[in-house]
Amino acid sequence: MNKMKLIELIARHTREVLPELEAHQFIPSDQLVDLGANSVDRAEIAMLVQESLGLSVPRVQLFGPKNIGELADLFLEKLDAV
Amino acid sequence: MLSKPVITGMGVIAAIGQGKAAFITGLLEGKHAFGVMQRPGRQRDSAYIGAEIGKITFSPAITKQTLHASSFSSQAALVVVQEAWDEARLFDVDPMRIGLIVGGSNIQQRELVQVHEGYRDRCAFLRPTYGLSFMDSDVCGFCTAQFGIRGPSYTVGGASASGQLAIVQAAQAVLTNQVDVCIALGALMDLSHWECRGLRALGAMGSDRYESEPALACRPFDRDHDGFIFGECCGAVVVESMESSKRRGLEPYAALRGWGIVMDGNRNPDPSLEGETQAIQKALAASGLPPAQIDYVNPHGTGSIAGDRVELDALRACQLTGAYVNATKSLIGHGLSAAGTVEVIATLLQMQAGRLHPSRNLENPIDSTWNWVSDRSVDYPIENALTLSMGFGGINTAMYWQRHHQA
Repeated sequence: MNKMKLIELIARHTREVLPELEAHQFIPSDQLVDLGANSVDRAEIAMLVQESLGLSVPRVQLFGPKNIGELADLFLEKLDAV
Repeated sequence: MLSKPVITGMGVIAAIGQGKAAFITGLLEGKHAFGVMQRPGRQRDSAYIGAEIGKITFSPAITKQTLHASSFSSQAALVVVQEAWDEARLFDVDPMRIGLIVGGSNIQQRELVQVHEGYRDRCAFLRPTYGLSFMDSDVCGFCTAQFGIRGPSYTVGGASASGQLAIVQAAQAVLTNQVDVCIALGALMDLSHWECRGLRALGAMGSDRYESEPALACRPFDRDHDGFIFGECCGAVVVESMESSKRRGLEPYAALRGWGIVMDGNRNPDPSLEGETQAIQKALAASGLPPAQIDYVNPHGTGSIAGDRVELDALRACQLTGAYVNATKSLIGHGLSAAGTVEVIATLLQMQAGRLHPSRNLENPIDSTWNWVSDRSVDYPIENALTLSMGFGGINTAMYWQRHHQA
């Protein structure tokens, strides 16, 4: 899994929760809040990504990343630690 | 003192159609959609019969995001509230003066079972939104967010009388001036295979006698009835004072002249002649009109052997033998929490149409002395109607509706 693939995965699950973003081209600097995701949506997206990766990240650690690029970095770091 | 509450907007969905026009057409034509239920989570080593809603058409105002996040019960609520909202022009009312009462408890059982079964072996990945969606009041959340409602919104429960209780609660909110307008929703009861099994084991839901002929299963007041048949439905009515409706130039459907709510003091599902009679008498007394003025009764009429008989006995005890009677559940099934609201809508639409809908499968009435509307619709101008609901736990409700005539 590389960063690009992870961003694609985040994008896929973001579109699942926010179908209005179907045509949006995701870039690493995208912030989920700016894309219209409220706190419940963000929790949903993060959980769907974790399930796809077979990874469980404590909720509190998910507050750190500021955009989907940083979120992808966090998940990559966790994957490497497994 | 405000005048009697009136109904100025309605929205409805049932297996026979979405929206008032399709619904009343379906009722008057005697349509039905009974079959072995197909919705995921409804069957488990079973072939329960029921009437399920087809594909729902959503207003573009309801986003895909909302639809993705919402339960089936919430989706049905959004659709019917939208219809009632537009008709009653609630976009012209101060949102702080609009309330929403949701009738029903434990309404999303099938959705919950789907989550529990789907995440049994991967509970670490449970969707966080479950923390919101498991509560019935999530329906209040979705609707108030969608429509910007800022007055009180909460749920009320009374088993199969919930839909009428919601209207009573809405009427009280209007009469006590908590709000100018209050929407009452009879929420869609989304049964899972567990509730179907329990209701059948209890002897309340119809048996498998008609498994090979589902169209014959739902037969209120017929000698061959053997229990209720479930039907998905949902309805919303807009309750307000005559004064409030005049401010927006609306012509109401009908006025609510009175109601009665009486408990039997009995936890069980069996009906009570005394309780039903008293609820009807309270509604009649509140109306200030003699029983003979009632020319149409929309009964609870589920198809329960004991329930159908006791209900006719109660109507007779209240001297209502002159009224026309039909059975809305014979066409749409029993919506449980939604039934009370949806059947009030059926009553007011028949009032507006000047026509009474037929009752399916009423081939040999358990009592032939009543003015049944059986195999075909009848032209009849309803002036005063009584609608009844009864629920497990010994709750009986009756509502008295008087047609509104344009000034």
